[in-house]
Amino acid sequence: MSEKPVERTDNLKRGLAALGNLRGIIALVAVIILGALFSPKNVATGWPIFLTAQTQKDILFEYAEYGILATGMTLVILAGGIDLSVGSVLGFAATLFSLLVIGFGWPPFVAVVVTVLAGAVVGMINGALISRFKMQPFVVTLATMVAARGAAKWISGGIKVAPGGQSWYHVQTGTPPFFSWLTTGVGGTGIQPITLIFIVNILLFILVVRYTKFGRHLYAIGGNEEAARLSGIRVAWDKIGAYMLCGGMAALAGISNCARLEIGDPEAGGTYELDAIAAVVIGGTSLNGGRGGMFFTLIGVLIIGYINKILSINNVEEAQRLLVKGAIIILAVLIQQRKRE
Amino acid sequence: MSKYRSIIVIALAAACALSVGCGKKESTTTGTSTTETGKKFVIGMSQCNLGEPWRVQMNADVKAAAAAHPNLEVLYKDAQNKTPVQQAQVKEFVEQGVNLIIISPKEALPLTKPVAEAMAANIPVIVLDRKVEGDKYTSFIGADNVKIGKEAGKFMVKLLGGKGSIVELKGLMTSTPGQERHNGFMEGIKGSQIKIIFDADCHWLEPDAQREMNSALSRFPQIDAVYGHNDPSAHGAYLATKQEGKGREKQIKFIGIDSLPNEGVRYVKEGILTATFQYPTGGKEAIDTALKILNGETVEKNIVLGTKVFTKENVDKGGAPL
Repeated sequence: MSEKPVERTDNLKRGLAALGNLRGIIALVAVIILGALFSPKNVATGWPIFLTAQTQKDILFEYAEYGILATGMTLVILAGGIDLSVGSVLGFAATLFSLLVIGFGWPPFVAVVVTVLAGAVVGMINGALISRFKMQPFVVTLATMVAARGAAKWISGGIKVAPGGQSWYHVQTGTPPFFSWLTTGVGGTGIQPITLIFIVNILLFILVVRYTKFGRHLYAIGGNEEAARLSGIRVAWDKIGAYMLCGGMAALAGISNCARLEIGDPEAGGTYELDAIAAVVIGGTSLNGGRGGMFFTLIGVLIIGYINKILSINNVEEAQRLLVKGAIIILAVLIQQRKRE
Repeated sequence: MSKYRSIIVIALAAACALSVGCGKKESTTTGTSTTETGKKFVIGMSQCNLGEPWRVQMNADVKAAAAAHPNLEVLYKDAQNKTPVQQAQVKEFVEQGVNLIIISPKEALPLTKPVAEAMAANIPVIVLDRKVEGDKYTSFIGADNVKIGKEAGKFMVKLLGGKGSIVELKGLMTSTPGQERHNGFMEGIKGSQIKIIFDADCHWLEPDAQREMNSALSRFPQIDAVYGHNDPSAHGAYLATKQEGKGREKQIKFIGIDSLPNEGVRYVKEGILTATFQYPTGGKEAIDTALKILNGETVEKNIVLGTKVFTKENVDKGGAPL
């Protein structure tokens, strides 16, 4: 009989936790309602433009890159780390991918594999330096952020890689069909492969984080690294794995960026790392590691995407835009914070 | 230990960079015989950053113009968008005793003094694109963004027959080029029935322009043309329209500014942009002016560069001057 109260508080806690999960969704719904209320109406039908399928597809498409970056970033942050290099790796990957396809005329599929591997190698370097040499994640990834940007400029010769950019490029005019394919709706749904990559990737990693040993290890390491080590988790390998996945996904985002702009821009992805971190934090994953989850990140990306769309579709002035964005980020984090108490 | 190691690494990197630079220079100078008589001149060129393709083009233009004169040697420095670095670079050139300095400053005020000091040390200075304060420089070469914007506006009026709904994708509106390209354009379309139905600050960035164009497309069923403050913005708008999948890119006309060979001019050739207006780098003019100065001729204090328009009809002939 004495066990009952304990059970009750357990249930209560569980209930509150579920509510905590709900808070993110509530925040997202609130943003959507806000968007619908303030949306300009279609002249002919009077239906709010914000609520059209096209606008929804636009949002997912526009924020797919951030979403892919944030997915990788979540893995690293859950394990108590941070990766500042993702924006630069995105730029490096966009340049490398376009160089392979446009410059050397490689088959796109091979180029995708090589580019993602290159991103994973950068991640591996990050992970190895952090876990083997006990260097600060902030410092290591700051260094690779600078270096990856340098590499992007070096391989491209400092110019954007586009058909006809150099006389020796394999593709001299037009856009490689693979680029167009990635940005054209498939099967009459109007949903672009880039959007699908983002959605499938994040759904997959929601499952990985929740149900695999690797996912549980990330929480354990982020919560208390020493305890995780003592309980027999091979901390170094899991951390390297998280950074490699993060780097690989940054490369994937780079390929998306390149296809979307039809250009390999060595400057692409500047400050994207901040947006990725913002999405993770707004979702509700703790920057201290060990708390949060991948589903939260999906919510975070959507909240940012919706807010930006509302501001853009209403033609809000730049100054007000920045103010509103800052205010909403703080508000969202406040909502998240309260559930922890 | 690690401190020394980093110093060694930096020294090695610097040595590599220098040796590469020297190697290149030697191979070009030995190839051409010194047909021009006269002294050898060393020119120091400080570029505020090489992150923007337009500035990469400026350096390329300087390099191409200088290659025609074997008695010129140009030393290039990239200030990486940092004013203190650029201040130091001007001083380094003075200490090095170059014969002339070309500078494309990041900011006017902080670079006024170093430029004046170079002048005081009897080194002529050519200021490119952005100005410095006062009159302590030899010659300023720059383009007129208001004029370019105005030409774009006039072109738009003609293109749409005097009326229509357009989208303006602006450059960073806290920067002078953004403001001037907007003001000039408004002047150009004054008196016509062209309405700007949607505008947004796209910070010169193509991804931002693409996003804003998506919003414009979902709001307005009828858009006649897009005015991008730079070619990447106009191109981003085109891609957004194409990716919308309704074929509207065939009706909407896209106009941009800058006309870099690999961006705007190529887009016009491929039929993506209807027109692009050149924002000249002044690289060639800088070398021409430098030669005059070095040969003791007097030059104009302010040289305003003209603009060109590239359209499908004239793009193969190298555009039409305006």
